[in-house]
Amino acid sequence: MTKRVLVAMDSYRLAECAVPLACYICGTDNNYNTELCRHCAAPLALSHQARTQGVRPQMVAVLGTAAAGKTVYLGMLLDMLTRQNSRVQVLARGAFSITLQQRTMMALSNCRFPEKTPNEPDRWNWVHCQAKINSKKNPMELIMPDMAGEAILEEIDHPNAYPAIHSFLEKCSAVILLADTDRIERGGAEQNYFLMKLITYLSEQDSRKSRGKTTRPVAIVFSKADRCEPCFDNPELYAREKTPNLWQQVQQRFTNYGFFASGVAGSVGFREEPGEGTSAVPLRIEPRGIVEPFEWLVRKV
Amino acid sequence: MNRYVVGGAGVASVVVLMSLTWLFGSFFWALSLTVLIAALGGGFLVYRQFTQKFSSHPSPSPSAPEKISSRKAAPPADTDNAKDSQSLARKMLDQGRYTLLLRPQIAESIPPKLLQRAQVMLDDEMTLVPGGETIVGKGANDSPDLPDNLDGRVVQVEGFYLDRYQVTNEQYHQFVENGGYEQISLWDPEIVPALLDFVDLTGEPGPRFWKDGKYLSGQAQHPVVGVCWYEAAAYARWVGKRLPTDPEWVKSGGWPVPLPGARPIQRKFPWGEAFDQNKCNLWGSGHGATVPVEKYDEGMSVGGANQLIGNVWEWTSSRFGAWQSSSSPLVLDASMRSIRGGAFDTYFETQATCDFQSGDKAVARKRNIGFRCAIGICDLIPDQSMQAEVHPAQVETQELAEVAP
Repeated sequence: MTKRVLVAMDSYRLAECAVPLACYICGTDNNYNTELCRHCAAPLALSHQARTQGVRPQMVAVLGTAAAGKTVYLGMLLDMLTRQNSRVQVLARGAFSITLQQRTMMALSNCRFPEKTPNEPDRWNWVHCQAKINSKKNPMELIMPDMAGEAILEEIDHPNAYPAIHSFLEKCSAVILLADTDRIERGGAEQNYFLMKLITYLSEQDSRKSRGKTTRPVAIVFSKADRCEPCFDNPELYAREKTPNLWQQVQQRFTNYGFFASGVAGSVGFREEPGEGTSAVPLRIEPRGIVEPFEWLVRKV
Repeated sequence: MNRYVVGGAGVASVVVLMSLTWLFGSFFWALSLTVLIAALGGGFLVYRQFTQKFSSHPSPSPSAPEKISSRKAAPPADTDNAKDSQSLARKMLDQGRYTLLLRPQIAESIPPKLLQRAQVMLDDEMTLVPGGETIVGKGANDSPDLPDNLDGRVVQVEGFYLDRYQVTNEQYHQFVENGGYEQISLWDPEIVPALLDFVDLTGEPGPRFWKDGKYLSGQAQHPVVGVCWYEAAAYARWVGKRLPTDPEWVKSGGWPVPLPGARPIQRKFPWGEAFDQNKCNLWGSGHGATVPVEKYDEGMSVGGANQLIGNVWEWTSSRFGAWQSSSSPLVLDASMRSIRGGAFDTYFETQATCDFQSGDKAVARKRNIGFRCAIGICDLIPDQSMQAEVHPAQVETQELAEVAP
């Protein structure tokens, strides 16, 4: 036998539920207690935090093809900035913001790369953090999602396929574009064309707001550059020589841009996984050029 | 040389012939006289060579009269040779090539004083690692599902000497200065065609990050980096040593304690089991670059080898992947060589332990890979000082035996 009990709801909770909560990414109204936005699947914790702190966080997008190294770059960046007292420091907002860093570091310390980011937006890791820069008086609030490369490509080819990506790229104040050096070195033009598409997409979004070149700062980062030492010596020269189309597009469309090189694994081996084909194995972790693009970008924002 | 002599004689003959023709007014007489002069000159030269030959190389025959004079001349030549070999030995000591003098084949001909100096240098610059068992096989290439106690293979290692410090820029400069890159015999035959690629930033032979064949100022005592495995091996040959094998390197750091009927216990870090950021130069130390090799002496191994962990990775002579588990082996480039110890930019301390193995291509010339050298005890003459130390201990034992009831 169950006994029916009536519990009076506190009026303040009633009031909260009555007021819809707008998603910070796409702006869709959601119920107050909902975890993810019903339209774009972005976590509503971002909206809650923005509301309680009274600060509007800036958004930084990390974009690149599938397996370009977005998850490793973001995870490594956050871990480096939270581990050491350097010129830039980061403080996570909310426990969910540490998940990406935790997963990436756990994998790398065991000489594995983290698992591929799923295409479903509700399974992406979002990072909300406070970035402190030595030269700046006030800290910045930042939101950085780890989006799947295939989903990004899908959104570029079919705008609005992924509302989260569409809305995020429209609002983001800075962009980090990752180009896979390993694939460029192997002679593939895929990176070149993908990044050209992305650049076109971004500049089209900006052209709706204002005419002329895009002022949004863009850092073009050659990831996995540990496999190509000349790339570290002069990333811009490397871009001009190896990805001339990309270099040309960047020149023509952006005013605030910088070329960088980064690497996380000192050396890489390969392992045959049964039923999964060959997967790369980092033989040691030696981060290089990870903080520089981010620092440059944050100063420009 | 002979070409020039013959050519000169020919020209002189022509000049003489022309002069005599002008003098006598007859070509026939002039030619006859020239032939006569040439014959006399040639005969004189042949005679001189003949006498010189027999005065410097005496006949082994005891009856030969030249023997006496040649024996009288022999002592100054031997003295010269002895002086030459002594000065050569001194030069080698100055260059840090003391192990060459301590080789049994060479030590016999070296004066005791120089030999003693070489022995002192060996004791100062190298640490003795006793023979015994060590466990190798952990690292990037092991299966994560394998329990710790079952991982790794027990390998028997013979006693050897290991450099106390990584090879410095200053030491490597001696090799470059003395034409190490031009002495083909020092290099592995397969790499000789690629030797021209082993140049510095200015195109001079030397480590990758040097300029004009010299290291950067203020970096004399920093470990040499930007050298590939072949360059490290060539340097080791030049100083009379070799690169340590993988088990040797692990043994010198882990310093295993043998247990009867069980696997030896070995340390995770040269100073103990727990990581200590103040005892090595890794990413967390915040230097972001190499430091002089004498720094971080608190992290020294039991035997006295400094910076086995951190500062730069160290090439070993072993192939990378040789100890990996067979359950899911890595697909590796055949030229991959094992490196050990972690470097200034190694992010995780778990990847800078004595048992962690990483690898790189043998031709990789990276900013964080250096090396140190080793040599087997069996390759050197027995250490006289160690033999001398046996006596006091023996005396002490005898005394104790006498005191005991």
